Amino acid sequence: MSRVHDVGGQTGFGPVSPDLDDNQPFHADWEARVFALNTALRRRGVFNLDEMRDAIERIPPEQYLAASYYERWLLAVEMLLREKGLLADG
Amino acid sequence: MGEARFVAGDKVRTHTVDPPHHTRLPRYIRGQVGEVVEPEGAWPLPDDRARDLPESRVETVYAVRFAARDLWGEGTHSVTVDLWESYLEPAGEDDT
Amino acid sequence: MSEDHASTAIAARVRRLEERLVDAGVVSDAELDTILNRFLAKASPLNGARIVARAWVDEGFRERLLDDANSAIKELGLSLGGDHAELRLRVVANTQTLHNVIVCTLCSCYPLQLLGPSPSWYKSLAYRSRVVRVPRDVLAEFGLHLPDDVEIAVWDSSAESRYMVLPMRPPGTEDKSEDELAGLVTREGLIGTAAV
Repeated sequence: MSRVHDVGGQTGFGPVSPDLDDNQPFHADWEARVFALNTALRRRGVFNLDEMRDAIERIPPEQYLAASYYERWLLAVEMLLREKGLLADG
Repeated sequence: MGEARFVAGDKVRTHTVDPPHHTRLPRYIRGQVGEVVEPEGAWPLPDDRARDLPESRVETVYAVRFAARDLWGEGTHSVTVDLWESYLEPAGEDDT
Repeated sequence: MSEDHASTAIAARVRRLEERLVDAGVVSDAELDTILNRFLAKASPLNGARIVARAWVDEGFRERLLDDANSAIKELGLSLGGDHAELRLRVVANTQTLHNVIVCTLCSCYPLQLLGPSPSWYKSLAYRSRVVRVPRDVLAEFGLHLPDDVEIAVWDSSAESRYMVLPMRPPGTEDKSEDELAGLVTREGLIGTAAV
């Protein structure tokens, strides 16, 4: 499905900013925790990599575009856990 | 899963259908003709795995090279994309 | 690291999520720590640099690397890892007339084990959208100005292959040891946004 993530060839995102990178693997502790959570949940078979990618792509476009990289991961993990009944609302 | 359908050098055209689910066929190469660089072995089809289907199809994946001029109307570079077999069909004689 | 209000809020949200999953017995804190520590200890661009330096000094290794990279990097004790099977590695060599550059337009596929965690710009919409269309302009934004007669090959890793660039050995490095050569190789060189 053509969704917001499918950006190859699109224009309007401006130039690349190589200097923004500070060589840190994670820019906050919570990013590292989200990374580890995603890995653990995949290993446990809670969801697979393609389900995770699909969930990221299902984030509403305006939210996807506004979110940072690991915010998208967090939104997707929460979405999958809710859908699989492992995370009740609240 | 059978034998690989394509070999290096084959001309292939990507599908234009936009399936109602996750897929790994990027929009910018849909309906385009490229050349098979090489097969990359057989891998589970993401379209099936993303839906957590009990039996995910396993297909040969191919590196397929496209010319920038075909994709964008200009440019001299090439773009090579890894594509599952069911995203591809043989390109006809007229497709060059 | 500085944390503004928004990131404090999101950090609390992640903590809450983690606590709920730990309480439910889905994951454990120790497991998460182990995953992170292993990842940070193993995944590094030094691995990619070692591979490149070996290929520069050992023609036989270079040939094996370009032919079947997964087997070749085992000689250095390295592997790519992966979810259901080891990912396929394809190393693409730069020449006087061809320059390679890697992207993942759909998400952020990247040879993590060999290059370490990917830079922010690699995951940015600007890079993902533009490098397949105007690679020469994008490379110039990195300060890499290629001569017009150098052809560019862009590799969009959309499946189970991961790509790494084998840069050309810089001139004037004939006397350097393999370790010294590895020290010349940058992460950007392995992605293709730098010459080395």
